[in-house]
Amino acid sequence: MQKSRILFSGTKLVAAVALAGAVAGTAHAADPKRGGTLTIVDTANPRHFNAAVQSGVATMVPGAQLFATLLRLDGQFKTHPYLATDWKIADDGLSVTLNLRKGAKFHDGHDITSADVAFSLKANRDNHPFKAMFAPLQEVETPTPNQVVLRLKQPHPALMLALTAPLSAIIPKHVYGDGQNIKKHPRNTKDVVGSGPFRLAAFKRREHIILERNDNYFMEGPYLDKIVMQNFGQVASQIIAMEQGKADMMHWSSSSRTLARLKKSKNLTVTSDHYVAIGPNNWIAFNLKQKQLSDVRVRQAIAYAVDRNFVTKALHGGFSKPSTGPIVPGTPYYTDAVELYDVDLAKANKILDDAGYGKGGDGMRFTLKVDYLPAAAIDENQKAIAEYLKPQLKKIGINVVVRVSPDFPTWSNYVRNWDFDMTMDVPFNWGDPVIGVHRTYLSNNIKKGVIWSNTQNYANSEVDAILAKAGVELDLDKRKGHYAKFQKILARDLPVYPVNVIAYHTVFNNKAVSGVPDTVWGTAHPLDRIYKLK
Amino acid sequence: MANISIIVVKRILNAAALILAVVILNFLLIHIAPGDIVDTIAGEMGGISPELIAEIRADYGLDKPLYEQLGLYVLRILQGDLGHSFFYDTPVVTLIWDALPQTLLLVITALSLALVIGTIFGVIAARRPNGAFSHLITVLALVGFSAPVFWTGIMFLIAFASFFPLFPPAGMAAPDLQPGSLDYYLDVLHHMVLPVLTLALIYLAFYSRLSRASMLDVLGSDYVRTARAKGLSERVVVYKHALRNALIPIVTIAGLQFAQVLSGAVLVEAVFTWPGLGTLALEAILRRDGPTILGILFFSSVVVVIFNLLTDLTYNLIDPRIRLGSKE
Amino acid sequence: MSEQHSSPNQAASAAFEAEIQMPSIEHPLREAARMFARNKAAVGGLILLIGILLLTLVVPFFYTVDPFDLVWAPLSPPGTENVPFGTDYLGRDILAGIVHGGRATLAVGGAAAILAVIIGLSVGSLAGYYGGWVDEVLMRITEFFQVLPTLLFAMVIVALFKPSVATVAFAIGVVSWTAVARLARSEFLRIRSLDYVKSARSIGSSNRRIIWLVILPNAMPPLMVQATLAVGGAILFEAGLSFLGLADPNVMSWGFMIGSSRDYLMDAWWTVTIPGIFIFLTVLAVSLIGDGLNDATNPKLRER
Repeated sequence: MQKSRILFSGTKLVAAVALAGAVAGTAHAADPKRGGTLTIVDTANPRHFNAAVQSGVATMVPGAQLFATLLRLDGQFKTHPYLATDWKIADDGLSVTLNLRKGAKFHDGHDITSADVAFSLKANRDNHPFKAMFAPLQEVETPTPNQVVLRLKQPHPALMLALTAPLSAIIPKHVYGDGQNIKKHPRNTKDVVGSGPFRLAAFKRREHIILERNDNYFMEGPYLDKIVMQNFGQVASQIIAMEQGKADMMHWSSSSRTLARLKKSKNLTVTSDHYVAIGPNNWIAFNLKQKQLSDVRVRQAIAYAVDRNFVTKALHGGFSKPSTGPIVPGTPYYTDAVELYDVDLAKANKILDDAGYGKGGDGMRFTLKVDYLPAAAIDENQKAIAEYLKPQLKKIGINVVVRVSPDFPTWSNYVRNWDFDMTMDVPFNWGDPVIGVHRTYLSNNIKKGVIWSNTQNYANSEVDAILAKAGVELDLDKRKGHYAKFQKILARDLPVYPVNVIAYHTVFNNKAVSGVPDTVWGTAHPLDRIYKLK
Repeated sequence: MANISIIVVKRILNAAALILAVVILNFLLIHIAPGDIVDTIAGEMGGISPELIAEIRADYGLDKPLYEQLGLYVLRILQGDLGHSFFYDTPVVTLIWDALPQTLLLVITALSLALVIGTIFGVIAARRPNGAFSHLITVLALVGFSAPVFWTGIMFLIAFASFFPLFPPAGMAAPDLQPGSLDYYLDVLHHMVLPVLTLALIYLAFYSRLSRASMLDVLGSDYVRTARAKGLSERVVVYKHALRNALIPIVTIAGLQFAQVLSGAVLVEAVFTWPGLGTLALEAILRRDGPTILGILFFSSVVVVIFNLLTDLTYNLIDPRIRLGSKE
Repeated sequence: MSEQHSSPNQAASAAFEAEIQMPSIEHPLREAARMFARNKAAVGGLILLIGILLLTLVVPFFYTVDPFDLVWAPLSPPGTENVPFGTDYLGRDILAGIVHGGRATLAVGGAAAILAVIIGLSVGSLAGYYGGWVDEVLMRITEFFQVLPTLLFAMVIVALFKPSVATVAFAIGVVSWTAVARLARSEFLRIRSLDYVKSARSIGSSNRRIIWLVILPNAMPPLMVQATLAVGGAILFEAGLSFLGLADPNVMSWGFMIGSSRDYLMDAWWTVTIPGIFIFLTVLAVSLIGDGLNDATNPKLRER
């Protein structure tokens, strides 16, 4: 985030500095006040709160309040103590020793011990859908109640990030270790016991989640007495609640119209900082088993025809950023030193002509279907771009038919069974390429029936080799080198054409709220520093 | 009339068969539809592994052949068990039970309001079938009938929640209010105004037209002519004799309409984020939460069948001209 | 929305059912036409409908902007140069959408209504004419479809077969034929016991002849009213499905315009309001005509 900002023009830089000052100002604000209720408008509808075994923003945000983790991240991907006070990575990268905070307790008064940590990390490894996070974790040793040693099968550069909220959660062994299936455990929604800054006071499905201050929190804070996450289905209703001051905060919002409108209200601060690790990479995915799309020239021609600037500036009103590759800007391994495919219709037409795809009598060369992920909240990224492809690719003689899926399962069913030509899709980076990026491109992850696997059927042994090396490289600069090479190859091969990164925003009432967390995970992070001004 | 109890029993058996048929059809449709709950869960979590897919499928019995799943489902329903929601991991009965009061509150308020005001409008209009008020009612009814209900709701939202912020835009009550307290009920009332108004408008249009037509019909009948000939005052004729007869078709149709109510509720609840059965059903369809959607369809068809049955029986009692068996 | 299908008129004719007199013998059609022409509202509706038909069938030849083309800055308000109705979130011309999108809306409404009438008329006439077990079976089927929550059922159908003009029309037709069937059945039930049907039977006319040539023409007036209203109901139904996101994005229609723009309604009211007005006007026109037809063919009202 900071880094990319420096690349901007002078005025932007001034603004950035001013903003940094403002943020610093809040951080140093003399005395955060105790008390008050933070009302968040939300669409969250979690299945349950156990973030150790369930991913997804709906679970992660309340999960990060209810369950503490070993570490936490700041806004620059730097690791900080949380339940673990200090840690050491062995030189060979095959073990990590962490010391736990003494006297830390769960909400029910039980001490948090190394046994709980060992239990939690194994539960996480065995049940969490992001297998790559803890796959190399072989054993968790518990030399003392306050120390754990993680033994790994191979060096694992993504480990420290995986130990932060919201990707893992330390859950009490005395509650969840009763032999029941942990994914369906009744205590995942009722009488939830964690050790985070807040405890669960009420959960009414489809209506609200109410969190109450944990008075025995092992760190400073929290300042709030209560957090109310109120479920508003319609965006319009959320807007009104924010404008009228009935709600203090809105998060994970990317709708450009909503943000543009809320930005006009001087009581509201709209910021896209602090979400960079999420990395929703909005792209056009190509099915390389499809006749024309198996030809890289066709994919390149499409890339030259699609105007990222139109999408981010006109369509999204500047509230999203162009994406140039598999890794999103602002994260440590990103590079923009790749082919950028600036829009060039003549070139696109020429590529197709040269490749022998002649135009028919109606000016069309061939027809391609495009699917999109149906979800109202991201329609301007998915549906709108699919609809935009229709007139835009007509200009290079490709007849586009938009295939609409009425709901997510229908779309998912097409894509995971390879029944598509092109589809809009938006996989997340999740902070480290090992977790959210590799899965799309590894040839051994071509798994029919699994969504967000390598559904493009892209296989390149060079890419496989680079990713294998990058996945175990602990040296930051060497790892960056691997990923730079990887991004260059992908910009040439184009199994997917990244269009833009959805920028999640937090909107808060600056007359009522301060101390919005400075992190890369947005509000899926303990809200123990946030406080009410009134 | 002696064999009325036999007819009633026959009717009830028939109703049970009907409900079973509805359940089977819906079960088949939902299971033929592309994608299943695993897609939804994977979508919510942002990723999934083949092992987890197999585990969830086995967990929810989705790995069994379709006829076996159907058999198990029907068997469970016969035992009064609507199953467990895949998505919410909660008994379906609980989900329906939590959502039902909200929908009933919305729908019954809107329907009663429309029924009472609509009947009054209709009666007034019928007294002067070519008068100004009668024409006004006709126009209002046509407008109410012709505007898409969600569109009306959106217009209300723009006008009375945004432009003039008189009413809250969404939800049912502020979450920090204690259910049961006076403040809570007042807040619910405040939240109810716009959705109830939206829903009531259509029914208002409908009932005022219906009662106008029905009144005109009754007023022209021999029965009323006789009453008039007997020298009864116009007021007595209209309100005592005619209205009572005119109400029969109105009430009947109000009962029969219950079948359509859920559809209207889906749209109005969707516009105002009202946490009722309509939004629950919509979410369940979009998520392929089989047990939940089947539970709601089962439940709503039971309600409709019972209402039809009751309407049939009452109608038969009030108006002996129409025979229950409906056969000549 | 779908509760709007059963129209005031249908309910009213149900109320009259028991008392409706034998149809007048001389020139019923001409008389009805005269009654209709005297009804200002109905004539207004007819003129409105003709206007809408001209707009959707003729104007597209003169206003040739492709409704899918991105012609101007996204979300330009009405009155902007070149785009009198403004543009939507992609910069598509809303006027072009109105002009070119009406056809699909009317086609869905018309096709769904025709389907509903065909199914409803077949089921209802057979049930009413033959009675007995035929009636029993057909009415069980009708009841079955009446019990289904229409909108949810239509959604499942559309989800199953993916949204296209044909699927949406099919889904709407399938869930809205029962009213026609009930009406047709009661009309057939009533007419078949009238003297002139009895005499037709006594001179040995075949069942087919009696159904088609004797009963149907006499049952036509209320059925025509019902069919007209079914068109309005189907258009509203299509709009409702579109609002929930179930419209074909490859075919411009008024419902699609509303459904795709619903997220922009707070800032760009015109994107939702304008197509909504056209849907409203179309249904209004159809309702006015149905109303006029009802008044013109209803002997009870004719007396006044």
